[in-house]
Amino acid sequence: MSRIIIHIDMNSYFASVEQQANPFLRGKPIGITGKHQERSVIATASIEAKKLGVKTAMSTWEAKRICPSMILYPGDPEKYSYITCQFNSIFNEYTDCVEQFSIDECFLDVSKTATDYLEAIVLAQIIRERIKETCGEQITCSIGIAPNKLMAKLCSEQVKPNGITTVNQQNILKFLDTCKLKDLCGIGTKIENRLNALGINTFEQLRKFSLEKLVNEFKSYGYWLYEAAHGRDDSPVINTYEEPKSIGHSYTLSENTDNKKEMKYCLLGLSDRVAGRLRKECLVARCVHVVVRYADFNEMTQQQKFTEPTSNGLTLFKIAWQMIDQWLDESKPVRLLGISATTLSRGNEHQSLFKKERKVHSLQKTLDEIQNRYGSNAWTRASLIDVHFKERSSGFHSPNSPSTM
Amino acid sequence: MHEFLNDQIDVIASFCQNRVIPKRIRWNERDYDISNVNLVHTAREGQKRIFYFSVSDNTNYFKLKLDPEYLEWHLVELYN
Repeated sequence: MSRIIIHIDMNSYFASVEQQANPFLRGKPIGITGKHQERSVIATASIEAKKLGVKTAMSTWEAKRICPSMILYPGDPEKYSYITCQFNSIFNEYTDCVEQFSIDECFLDVSKTATDYLEAIVLAQIIRERIKETCGEQITCSIGIAPNKLMAKLCSEQVKPNGITTVNQQNILKFLDTCKLKDLCGIGTKIENRLNALGINTFEQLRKFSLEKLVNEFKSYGYWLYEAAHGRDDSPVINTYEEPKSIGHSYTLSENTDNKKEMKYCLLGLSDRVAGRLRKECLVARCVHVVVRYADFNEMTQQQKFTEPTSNGLTLFKIAWQMIDQWLDESKPVRLLGISATTLSRGNEHQSLFKKERKVHSLQKTLDEIQNRYGSNAWTRASLIDVHFKERSSGFHSPNSPSTM
Repeated sequence: MHEFLNDQIDVIASFCQNRVIPKRIRWNERDYDISNVNLVHTAREGQKRIFYFSVSDNTNYFKLKLDPEYLEWHLVELYN
């Protein structure tokens, strides 16, 4: 049976939310940035800024060069997470099959709710109106309706802002042939270049290309490319919670530094945050991955596995710092530090045989309870009293259910 | 100009149909009549739920913070 999938993509999401909150930003080119505007990137450009050539992930100085009148505005992730919860709860009223693809994108399988494409279009219009009523008229979305997720996402990219695009089974190939290879989610610049090198510049050419040669070139990805070129995708809309594969934090320092002490404090603070999230999710890690970005934007990454699973911030820090200390190029100042815990599994840390470690473990439990009750800033290590992390501007915060207030 | 503040303020608000609507704020010994409540969102501080009101008059945008436990209002952002 043919499915009907709706993909909903919020337009210039973070910027639209800020324009909804602050009417003096409406109709103006704005860019949502991180905590240090001068060292940040544009997390989202408003529709007005995009029209002037500003793109997402552009550095703020480049965006300012293109559009000197652009207003740089620091992001407010809690606000965005709240609005995301609001529109997700609207989607759940119309189907129980909703997959959150990112903070501002969702797939809805409406095969049971809508019997044909006309009904799906009406449903999409109702949802769009409900978002406007609930979240505000500045917050708009583009909607794609198609027989599968891949095509629905491609459809939603077609008319921005505020468009609804539909493609049914009969028109998929005709529709694909009007799109560029890179428009498809899953074909980035590198894959596109490799396809171009094989003489493939359009979906029609990709369809006609031998599957065997594609698999030779791209291994198993070749099968996916071949299916995608025919507009086929049988991946289901998954509405179940998936276990996190990794938990990590990175931080761009307020100034580049070659001061090892400063780096250590920053890494310890990040490790504590990672460990806190691990414990909150009742997870332990068996691998630590670190990243150091130098001032020249060169990056060094390394990971280390270990046998004793942990969710302790100090343990994660020690492993991470040991790695960094070995290969840090001390002649180059550091711009960003990051740590993530991977190879995660459910469970708690093993009880140590040593009294001191058992004491630390039970103290950690109490400290976690304090943070759960009073918030993440309720306590900090004495060594980190002078370390203040400015909040990031993107990402998803732990959801809090929307209220009517 | 965009300012981040944490100033305690006085607020006159109406409670209507399960909603709180700030009507007037007093900050720096001056009254500001709120003409629009543009967005309301909540955030967690530990177990506590904090309410934020993005409001404006004709020339200013204010972000107000309401701590429902202590019924305290703060002005946390100003844009004009």
